[in-house]
Amino acid sequence: MALHLINRSPQAEAAYRDAGALFVEGDDLLLIEDACYAALPAAADLLTPFRGRVAVLDEDLQARGLSGRVDARVTIVDMTGFVTLTEKHDSAMSWF
Amino acid sequence: MALTYALLVQGAPYTHQAALSALRFGRAVVERGHRLKTVFFYHDGVHNASALMTPPQDEVHLAEGWRSLHRGQGTELLVCVAAGLRRGLLDEGEASRHGQIASNVAPPFELTGLGQLLDAMEHHDRMLTFSP
Repeated sequence: MALHLINRSPQAEAAYRDAGALFVEGDDLLLIEDACYAALPAAADLLTPFRGRVAVLDEDLQARGLSGRVDARVTIVDMTGFVTLTEKHDSAMSWF
Repeated sequence: MALTYALLVQGAPYTHQAALSALRFGRAVVERGHRLKTVFFYHDGVHNASALMTPPQDEVHLAEGWRSLHRGQGTELLVCVAAGLRRGLLDEGEASRHGQIASNVAPPFELTGLGQLLDAMEHHDRMLTFSP
């Protein structure tokens, strides 16, 4: 099981496509930096391959003024939550 | 259980968010009781090691942030020597070897080879990449 990290905006569809292709049961996806925009309801289609196992980093949401606009299916985690996800998974893969 | 972590930083300071994300994550790792053993700076990430970095006083000082992690728990700050030389990041030894007039990489940052990155990947429990 792995933690996938995406830091690109939804416009960089390849990052989402590539991560989705390797995403298996038990994996988690964390959206950081400009990937916060993928946590908005408008980008829900992009997150379909990740089967509801999607989180977004609160600090980066706040920096972009996106707090309160996140899709209900996406979990919001803080930096400690980010570390907790890396504790849970043996490996972390960054897609950029 | 406490884990050991290594971070790979490939983003230039103040250009992309990668270096700041890595620094904040590194601090959170330490706050959770884990060991941040190694940070490896590669590609444009080598600019994080500039001893001459002088941001405005009310802004985040990335190089100082890395140094404080080293002071706090001995985190190794490793800089790829090949990526550094290309971009003008040299310690005293490399500056002297190449006949340059000055150097700008100083301890606790160390110029090293990619072998050290492989070592870190092999020996630490977790490895995370922060790239532009």
